[in-house]
Amino acid sequence: MTEPASLRSRQPRFRGLEAGHRACQGCGEALAARLVTESAGPDVILTNATGCLEVFTTPWPQSAWRVPWLHSLFENSAAIASGVEAALKAQGRRTKVIAMGGDGGTFDIGFQALSGMLERMHNVLYVCYDNEAYMNTGIQRSSSTPHAAMTTTSPPGKNRMGKRHMKKDLLSIIAAHHVPYAASASVAYPQDLRRKVRRAMEIEGPTFLLVHSPCPLGWGHDGTLSIEIARLGVQTGLFPLIELERGEVASVMPIRNPVPVVEYLKRQGRFRHLFSDGDHRAREEREHLQALADYNIERYGLKGDGDDPLDTDGADTVRRGGPART
Amino acid sequence: MPVTMTRGAFALPGTSLAFKTGTWRNTRPIHTHAAAPCHGACPAGEDQQEWLARLQEGRPREAWEALVAMNPMPAVTGRVCPHPCESACNRGQYDSPIAIHGIERWLGDEAIRHNWAYPLLDVPVRSQRVAVVGAGPAGLSAAYHLLRRRYNVVLFDAMPEAGGLLRSAIPPTRLPRDVVDKELGRILALGIEFRPRTALGRDVSLDQLRSEFDAVFLGVGAGKSRHWDVDGAVPADLHEGLGMLKEWLVVGALPTPNAVVIHGGGNTAVDLARVMRRAGVKDVHVVTASGLPGPDTEPDDVLNVVPRELEQAVEEGVVFHPHRTINRLIMRGSKVVGVEMVRLKKLPDGRGRKSRVSFEGTETVLHVDMVVPAIGEVVDPTGMESVLHGKDYIKTDRFGRIDGQAGLFAGGDARDWLKGLTGGTVSAAIGDGRRAAEAIDALLSGREAVEPVRPPIRYDRLNLAYYENRPRIPLPTLELEKRNDTDEIEGGPSGAQALAEANRCFSCGNCLACDNCWTLCPDNAVVKTTELASDGSHYVFDYDYCKGCGLCAKECPCGYIDMVPDE
Amino acid sequence: MLEALEGSQAIARAVALCRPGVVAAYPITPQTHIVENLSKLVADGRLETELVSVESEFSAASVALGASAAGSRAYTASSSQGILLMAEVLFNISGMRLPVVLTCANRALGAPINIWNDHADSMAVRDCGWIQLHCANNQEAVDTSIQAFRIAEATELPVMVCVDGFVLTHTLETLEMPDQKLVDAYLPPFRFSRMLDPKHPLSLGTLVGPEYFAETRQAHHRALLDSVGAILEADRAWQAATGRSCGGLLTVEGPEDARIGVLAMGSLVSTFEEAMEVLPGRKKAKLIKLRAFRPFPDEALRHVCEGLTDLVVVDRAISTGFGGVLGGEVRSALLEMKKAPKVHNVALGLGGRDVPMEMWPRLLAVPKEVEGFRILDLDPAKLEPADL
Repeated sequence: MTEPASLRSRQPRFRGLEAGHRACQGCGEALAARLVTESAGPDVILTNATGCLEVFTTPWPQSAWRVPWLHSLFENSAAIASGVEAALKAQGRRTKVIAMGGDGGTFDIGFQALSGMLERMHNVLYVCYDNEAYMNTGIQRSSSTPHAAMTTTSPPGKNRMGKRHMKKDLLSIIAAHHVPYAASASVAYPQDLRRKVRRAMEIEGPTFLLVHSPCPLGWGHDGTLSIEIARLGVQTGLFPLIELERGEVASVMPIRNPVPVVEYLKRQGRFRHLFSDGDHRAREEREHLQALADYNIERYGLKGDGDDPLDTDGADTVRRGGPART
Repeated sequence: MPVTMTRGAFALPGTSLAFKTGTWRNTRPIHTHAAAPCHGACPAGEDQQEWLARLQEGRPREAWEALVAMNPMPAVTGRVCPHPCESACNRGQYDSPIAIHGIERWLGDEAIRHNWAYPLLDVPVRSQRVAVVGAGPAGLSAAYHLLRRRYNVVLFDAMPEAGGLLRSAIPPTRLPRDVVDKELGRILALGIEFRPRTALGRDVSLDQLRSEFDAVFLGVGAGKSRHWDVDGAVPADLHEGLGMLKEWLVVGALPTPNAVVIHGGGNTAVDLARVMRRAGVKDVHVVTASGLPGPDTEPDDVLNVVPRELEQAVEEGVVFHPHRTINRLIMRGSKVVGVEMVRLKKLPDGRGRKSRVSFEGTETVLHVDMVVPAIGEVVDPTGMESVLHGKDYIKTDRFGRIDGQAGLFAGGDARDWLKGLTGGTVSAAIGDGRRAAEAIDALLSGREAVEPVRPPIRYDRLNLAYYENRPRIPLPTLELEKRNDTDEIEGGPSGAQALAEANRCFSCGNCLACDNCWTLCPDNAVVKTTELASDGSHYVFDYDYCKGCGLCAKECPCGYIDMVPDE
Repeated sequence: MLEALEGSQAIARAVALCRPGVVAAYPITPQTHIVENLSKLVADGRLETELVSVESEFSAASVALGASAAGSRAYTASSSQGILLMAEVLFNISGMRLPVVLTCANRALGAPINIWNDHADSMAVRDCGWIQLHCANNQEAVDTSIQAFRIAEATELPVMVCVDGFVLTHTLETLEMPDQKLVDAYLPPFRFSRMLDPKHPLSLGTLVGPEYFAETRQAHHRALLDSVGAILEADRAWQAATGRSCGGLLTVEGPEDARIGVLAMGSLVSTFEEAMEVLPGRKKAKLIKLRAFRPFPDEALRHVCEGLTDLVVVDRAISTGFGGVLGGEVRSALLEMKKAPKVHNVALGLGGRDVPMEMWPRLLAVPKEVEGFRILDLDPAKLEPADL
């Protein structure tokens, strides 16, 4: 039988997030959540901040989740996760708690609750699906929005070139909590993402994962390109993939051939104003973003030396029967 | 029917399946098994991508079985074919093409070593009898493919052994005779009734065969040298190339002038040049109207020679004069003392057809004491008058059918080739034999002959992010000083090398089973199947939920997924 | 056993007797002593619970929410601004029908900042969908805290136990602490039907659109109305076990033929009970103690108001621009009576202003003095005339 309906129940992977959810076409966050839950397995309890993920997965009476899932508010995913974890501890249950939120719910409004959760050393994996703006409310800038990006609250105009400020360096703040493990990952590198989820799941204590998750609507690109753009985000150095142990950089995904940032920028509507002819500010901001990427590359030592099976070129290599490395 | 509100509005797991997001879609992904360029370029019709896939799965025997479904003699073709598959290989645009010929040769040798049985088709035994004339590559291929389809086949040849030009025109340094003996022996042993020393027109007539058999295939080859002269001038002691090569192969005799010019651009010319060099001829020149492989040479203008043979010939000291022809023989009495060459090139004429144009003022002189034409051969008309109609070759369609001669088929070098990139090769002859077998089967079964053709895949449809640069395996070559007239010059890969090389295959246009679509679908709308799906892939699209985002198509490394408008 | 205990300490001990799985603690005056005492019980090994010392009241409520959903008895406490910071979560806890118990040590709301007692905080979250029970003294605070868990778990509705900040929380009283055996018998082990459990993976806190939202509200409303039964049952069962009742939904005392009634909530009731004896005044009066503010016991209230000509409703909060919250609600509840008493609404003791026993006779004079609403214990000298 090769009918989809009968095959669905016999898939050789755990389905934490089921089909029938209402994410947009090519949604990076839906993909990231699917990958995270399937890597984490069935013995988890999820908490979810208010946002796209919550909305598109649970329009009552339907739910796309196959694991216990709890949503309360925009800013308290980490706090309700703390409560769930405390209850599990009280009951002697070993189930792992995964708290989830977007960048708004993590970098901004839920930041305090997250810090509290990390400080209290709750045994929770917090996953932030970073699509770099408030997408659920219609693309407003967050502290995670990259410099110069256009959002509805950072529109370009005579006096502005998109967002004035820098993307908040959240991982460094997480690092300052000296948690056992924190990492950044990207939907463009699913094997790396899965490995990081599994690593975090093994650790007793607070862990943090920042997953770069393109939003076709918010970033202004065709849904078809979500992976390609995420890949360029990593290959340019704008979204470095790093791992922190107790706050120290423990490993990075080396970039084999750094790609100029314009390759990343020009594919996205949110940077369209950086390509307007005859505007000297456009060139300036492109150079600025290139400098930010170069800064990341230098700061984390991202430039690889030679071919490395785990670098930006090697990590997504496939062969017959699956990814070349798992 | 409204649903009853649950306490606190909780929902049950996985109930989103009731919401069919497939209705959002306006384009849908489909699997399109396009033709990999290797397959598209293969004159024998092999699907290299398919058998490389079996090898990637670690199943060499299945790989060989998939291969011999098209070409029964991979040990031979892996050695002698100019492998247009490798020239076409997409990997060539990325790093270097897959060493397909090396893997093919390894599979052929493995099959001989393990005596793997040729898989015959699971069809009822046929009562009809088919005569195949000529046990060269075309005839052997036709006989094999007919036998696979369970026909009674009688194979005739004028020579005492099967093989045709494999024995008479290819030096053992390229094709060891024991490989020919073993591979051809295994094919004949499948149950082909072989009648050697039976020449058409001498021992048996075409009419006789046509009345005795339900169909006749003519794979008689082109055994007669094409007439050659330069403005009507011919040296008194003219030796022509193929004849010289045959004589050397059979008797071992070879004239050894001080300097020779061989006129021609095929394997005969190059083989002869190398043999003469090794026999001690100081200056061996090859003058050819074709070009050497390179960026400036059009694909249809390259020497029709196995590329690595060309390299080895140059290594061995053969001097090539590409894009030239012989304009004039310089004679002292009836003896040649030199030739005048002129440059030429294939250029389109006023009607867009390419023809050779020579360039006045580019004449140069070569001092030689022998000139050997090797410009090709034509069909020996003995016993064939009724089909040749005075022409050099037999005119057929692509299935080998001869107009107005029901039940009579032809293929291989005897057929009226549109001489080009692949014409006149062993592989082309094998392809001819196979297509003719299909046409014969169709005729005897009362159906239409078919040759499935798939659309080719473009290089830009591949997603190269998922491949890594990996060098092509080096194949061993006998050192220059160790080369002689008998030992095979080129070696084959080891098993590990063959497997490693197979793993370099991009799997253009066909499912690599890499899981990318399954892994990257945000909507869980790609499901995986352990059994093969009806379209041959390992994945099934769940159109109930697929939103048509196209991520799977974009991220498929192989270009196997197309987005098409949804009804 | 009778013990002299500070209110906060007594409440902490009562909560501990209920064996909460998770306690979320965050300090705010005047609630602080409750979480301090709980922390000490944990430190001393007298209470086995996951004590989560959170970084805000917002997280305290969130932790309680998560813990409850994950199948643990969850408790937290707060006051004033803390209650407001929790407000969002309070609505969530009840909307998800989670049996959380919270002690509100009632305190005024700023600005201006004021740490002393009134009911502005719990009134501000009047509509958050919780059961709200008010305690007249610390014995009631102890007993109600225990009853609250039984009620919450029977109804799957959260319960807010309101105790007057400082007046009760910081006051030593002699009271009877039940023993563990009694509480264990009274309060069955925690069980939550929709517990987060990988074996039965439910989704809690879903999105509900216009097509179903009204139904969620009706179901919640009906549950609160029906919780009257659970509140009465819990008190009766408690009385059977201890001989003490907290007065169900409301109680009334005073002579049967009194025509004037005074209605109050919380510790004021104790003050007035005392005053009725010490300073009875010339008029006969009934004292109505309202224990259940949510669900609002309008039927029971109409019943006890039969025969009254005037009812003085004492609020300890003000809905600025309207008047007393309680007054307004009582007035509307009594409208359905054939011969409803006239309602006179006053506010007393805002921001911790002392309400002495001497206030009782003044209250009895209110029917002649106050039409509508007035803050009764104002000092006009402290106001610009225009603000009077």
